Amino acid sequence: MISFSLSNRLIFVFSLLGLSVASFLFYKYGLNESVFCPIGKGCDIVRTSSYSHILGIPIPFLGVVYYLTMALLSVVHSHQLPHKLVRKLQLLASTFAVGFGVYLTFLEVFVIRAYCFWCLMSFIISVVIFLAIVVSRYEIRN
Amino acid sequence: MKYETKILGAILIITVVILFGGIFLLSRNQENNIFQIDYSRGQKIGSDSAKVRMVEFSDFECLACSAVEPYIVKLRAADPSKIQLIYRHFPLSQHAHSSQAAALAEAAGEQGKFWEMHDKLLETQAKWSSMNDATAFFMDLVKELGLDEDKIKQTMAGNVIKAKIDSDVAEGNSLGISQTPTFFVNGRKLDLQKFEDLDTLVEQELKK
Repeated sequence: MISFSLSNRLIFVFSLLGLSVASFLFYKYGLNESVFCPIGKGCDIVRTSSYSHILGIPIPFLGVVYYLTMALLSVVHSHQLPHKLVRKLQLLASTFAVGFGVYLTFLEVFVIRAYCFWCLMSFIISVVIFLAIVVSRYEIRN
Repeated sequence: MKYETKILGAILIITVVILFGGIFLLSRNQENNIFQIDYSRGQKIGSDSAKVRMVEFSDFECLACSAVEPYIVKLRAADPSKIQLIYRHFPLSQHAHSSQAAALAEAAGEQGKFWEMHDKLLETQAKWSSMNDATAFFMDLVKELGLDEDKIKQTMAGNVIKAKIDSDVAEGNSLGISQTPTFFVNGRKLDLQKFEDLDTLVEQELKK
């Protein structure tokens, strides 16, 4: 179990990491150019698939909004630790993000049948953020 | 306000400024810069005196390159005295067969069938890109196009084609290309939001 302070710092650092990954992908999606894939070659397949946008919105843009919100919440949270409402918002947003990440990874594995390195990185980051929140919540209960 | 809140807030603001400022500047530079391109190189369709000269840096194994092809085909059918299309190689290192495919297309070009091989390679991309060794499949394409197989093998093994592809890559690198397809219209690097915009941008350039 980790302290609220450490949990909040972890959320902040990983949100900035996620923000960098999502911004990079958002920029590349906007240019409609091939995305550099450090491992494998699935980035382009995923980018050009019909699942790369939801209601016309590129998926990486949702990532930018999510990570920016999480980073902002952790800045606000650092002012008063622990703050019930902020914790609830963080837990709610990260649960939704991980759920959405599971859905997108499912699409990559079973529907698109290609793996996008950056998307998987973002998924792992969102899982780390979720764990950082959940683990610190246990501390309050025990 | 707590000291930590100030520090985290400052880090967040700096990160956001760097990320979004960088994206803004990169996008703006791409719009305004006129790049000096060597028009003597590459495989061409259309006149050297055409009003619009479009250069495509491409990779036969890149999925986006095959996705953009229907829009290129439209431009290929346009008036060759007004629009010139130039194909330049930019095989990406993460693609296992793209250099071999580029060499094959150039070797076919030596027998006057570059564009026929170009089309075949993009049409069949999904098949050969997943193979461990695509040589036999490529030779089937050679036969299909009625090319001299021995000559193709000889040309592909030679240094002339390798040097040609390497010089395309070198120029691409000097132009700051890192992905494919990258298009230049009259020296201006295109910032395409969607491939459909390609035809519109070329039409706009024609009207200038």
